[in-house]
Amino acid sequence: MTTHHMTAADGGGRLVVDALEKHYQLDGAEVPVVKGVSFTIEPGTFTSLLGPSGCGKTTTLRCVAGLETSDGGVISLDGKVLSTGTRHVSPDKRDVGMVFQNYAIWPHMSVFANAVFPLQVAAGRLPKKEARTRAMEALELVQLDAYAHRPATALSGGQQQRLALARALAHRPKLLLLDEPLSNLDAKLRDTMRNELRSLQQRLGITALYVTHDQSEALSMSDRVAVMNGGRIVQEAAPRDLYFAPADRFVADFVGRVNLIPAVVRDRDANGDALVEAFGTRLVTPCPVESGTGADVTVTFRPESVRWHAAPVDRPNLLPARVARVEFLGEIVEYEAEILDGATTVGRVIARGAPLNSPTEGSTVFLELAPQACRVLAA
Amino acid sequence: MSRVERTTRAGRTRPTGMTVATVIAGSVIFLLLAIPLAVQVITAFRGPFLPFGVSTARWSTENFVTLWGLRDDFWDVLGATAAFVGGSTVLSLLMAFGLAWVTVRTDAPFRRMISVLVIVPFIVPSIVKAQAYLLMLSPESGVLNQLLRLLPGDLVIDPYAFSTMVVIQSLTNVTFPYLMIVPILTGMDGSLEESARVSGASWGQTLRRVTLPMLWPGLLGVMVLTFILGLGSLEVPLLFGQESGKDIFALKLWTLISAGAGELPQYGLAAAWGCVFLVITTIAFVIYLRATRDAERRASISGKGFRPTTMKLGGWRIPVLLAILVFTMLTAVLPLFALLWSAITPYPLAFSFDALRTQTHFTAFGEVLADGEFWASLGRTLIIAGGSATIACGAATVLAYGIARSRATGWTRSMDLFASSSVAIPAVIAGFAMFLTFMVINPVIPLAGTIAALVIAYSYRVSIAYRAGFSATLQIRTELEEAALISGASRLEGFRRIVAPLLAPTVFAVWIQMFILGTNEFTLPAFLATPESRPLSVYMYAMINPRSAQLYAPDQGAAMALIFTLLVFAIGYGLQWLVSLRSIGRAARRGRVVDAATDALGTAAVAVEATDATDTRSVAAQQVAELTHR
Repeated sequence: MTTHHMTAADGGGRLVVDALEKHYQLDGAEVPVVKGVSFTIEPGTFTSLLGPSGCGKTTTLRCVAGLETSDGGVISLDGKVLSTGTRHVSPDKRDVGMVFQNYAIWPHMSVFANAVFPLQVAAGRLPKKEARTRAMEALELVQLDAYAHRPATALSGGQQQRLALARALAHRPKLLLLDEPLSNLDAKLRDTMRNELRSLQQRLGITALYVTHDQSEALSMSDRVAVMNGGRIVQEAAPRDLYFAPADRFVADFVGRVNLIPAVVRDRDANGDALVEAFGTRLVTPCPVESGTGADVTVTFRPESVRWHAAPVDRPNLLPARVARVEFLGEIVEYEAEILDGATTVGRVIARGAPLNSPTEGSTVFLELAPQACRVLAA
Repeated sequence: MSRVERTTRAGRTRPTGMTVATVIAGSVIFLLLAIPLAVQVITAFRGPFLPFGVSTARWSTENFVTLWGLRDDFWDVLGATAAFVGGSTVLSLLMAFGLAWVTVRTDAPFRRMISVLVIVPFIVPSIVKAQAYLLMLSPESGVLNQLLRLLPGDLVIDPYAFSTMVVIQSLTNVTFPYLMIVPILTGMDGSLEESARVSGASWGQTLRRVTLPMLWPGLLGVMVLTFILGLGSLEVPLLFGQESGKDIFALKLWTLISAGAGELPQYGLAAAWGCVFLVITTIAFVIYLRATRDAERRASISGKGFRPTTMKLGGWRIPVLLAILVFTMLTAVLPLFALLWSAITPYPLAFSFDALRTQTHFTAFGEVLADGEFWASLGRTLIIAGGSATIACGAATVLAYGIARSRATGWTRSMDLFASSSVAIPAVIAGFAMFLTFMVINPVIPLAGTIAALVIAYSYRVSIAYRAGFSATLQIRTELEEAALISGASRLEGFRRIVAPLLAPTVFAVWIQMFILGTNEFTLPAFLATPESRPLSVYMYAMINPRSAQLYAPDQGAAMALIFTLLVFAIGYGLQWLVSLRSIGRAARRGRVVDAATDALGTAAVAVEATDATDTRSVAAQQVAELTHR
């Protein structure tokens, strides 16, 4: 690839969102949609807002873009205040770039005209020649330079996506906003674009705020992930921490498949580990929550951390079970096991494993829940 | 959630100046429609003549009392109008549905040619069509009656029989419902019918249980609009009804205000008549609104694959083609022949080869072309049609964009309804109400009888442009404007560079459509024009009307009708050709594909034709895109 002037030196800005509030009018009533959201994105890092639809993540992003006027809280970029509850910098003066869910490619323009647009309009106007060079650079970044003079509508979905990205980057904004940009692509293309997007962001060192409801997108691309629910951020953490140390049942359940087993604390030891009663037996598990003996809690563990044995072995947290259902998913096998206490079923567990080494339906096995793979959450 | 977001997100990208522009456009449209109707209602309650500035003007219900006193007459008119308009509406709807079905949903041969043949009469002015039918049906010299005499049995069609008039009216108007039914049939999701077929239903059962119930709201809407169009048009009642002795509403209104010498015209009574019929059309409009709402709701159910399945005609091919042949003979070939024959014969004369050799001459054409008044009225026609199309499109587009992009409030909703309501006003009522208005304001603003008055009156058809502009705006996703803002464009720049170019093709297509409607207009100038301001349609009527003594020259009238039609054709298609050429040129340049041009030209022409003006540019661009991918 040719050398281009868009390098990490351009850098990104530091975004601070503090106590953001947003209400909507619905049939005369005020409906709060964002209820005091706060987060900070360090320059050059990638943060995702992850949550189910209606959780307020897109509204938060649109408030940062200035397409929505917030009703409270402060948004600032590199120390410059963009929004308070009452005063708002208009979107064209915020120095941000945005990729929309439906690309929002202007159908009456060529690929080049789309990319050069931000360099021709009031806020970022450049001399004609320079604008041309910069727009071509942006197109080169996304490997669309060869298509510059095609009509924008003649591009495929993935190409339109890349054009939207080039357009968002052309004026070298301090902050890149992405609103579910991959949701309209097919699965294979989505994986490719995910990688391209992440490596481009790292190469340019631009600050990025990404909105998605797809946990694998958020986990694979982000430096930090903020999980939102009901207008609030429930947990903000690095992807691994989020996955293995969810703060509550909602996060555990939303980020990946999980077993949530009701349990009662029976004892705690000096290491912070607890002895809990679940499935009519005792399990050893780390216990970060403040809960005394006798408290109702939830034990969580991921399906892929469950191991199965054909015969009993000498390990902690070993449960006899009967395999009720085996589902072949290609790269993995998922099976549902009924935990047995003698002849009676005392619970169910979802487990996943390699397809070449899976238990057969109806067989009796021993499931191992390694203590370090388990976690206790508030009930 | 999505509803909340839509209502609140809208409006954020609108330039501030747009609010002012929207209010201005809204006021223009409000004044255009509300004042004339108000004047008419006031006239109905204020005395026998004009409502202001004359000694007889005072508040009373006298006109309605008079109307009730003449109730036998009233019921006669109501009955005759219901039979005439209702009958012709049903008839033209049946024909239009049949034709649309054949062209869209069957494998009939020559479908493309048929669809062009059906659309062509749309360009022919109604007054010319009515005149041609009159000539074609003349008992002695009419070509159709001549043909019928060749058949066994003693069949002669009486041109002035009521049933003939109903058929003529339906033939005159058939293109209008056809143009509206075609998109309904095309847009229908074929998979819904296919699933009925797979469930074991026969073709007939599918039609009865799935297709028709699904199309019903849309067809009801078309029916109401055709009804209002029929109620408002003066051409056929004027040419046929005067002789038949049946008082049809349009004709009644016209005779009431064209009083004989020495008596005051009864504007008050005419206004009372107008009020009664306005109530009727308002009811019809409410039905239309509900129907379109239902139609939209049903349309939104449909799935992805928009490919209507085609029916195999099989053994029905021949009867279907024969029916279409008869239809074409009746709507195009014979009327054209009758006009031509009338233009080249000095007086009504039955066709014979002998007469063709000895009696015919082409002097009428020369006389028309040498007639200064012909050129003057042609010039006025172009000015009036162009001016009114520009006013209507300008105001309607600005208002449509403003309303479509603002939060729904009581205000915007009522303005939306109001701007859409001109379709509910029959042309005769609009013409009469405008006439009254210009008479009333004449002491202050002397516009009565001027070309300016006609420009304003023609602009009342603003709803056509408003609806088209509204749906075109809705098709421009808000994201496209937001993307411009985020890119650093000001609101005005965003509007200029993104919205305006995307709206332009629709606006221009509607402009052409309104321009053609304007050149064809007869009903409005019949009420408003004076010899100094009359457009070609009215001048031509004077030539073929035996009552206009010194101007009466049927051969010149027929020659003028032919020239007039040719001109409208040339102008209409010329403009469309220019538009499609421009868009194709651009698309070709972008895609570097020239082969698409020929095909796209056809599509673009048809697209412009349709009442719901389609974006010709996107059609062309899409085709280019498809070709490049292949």
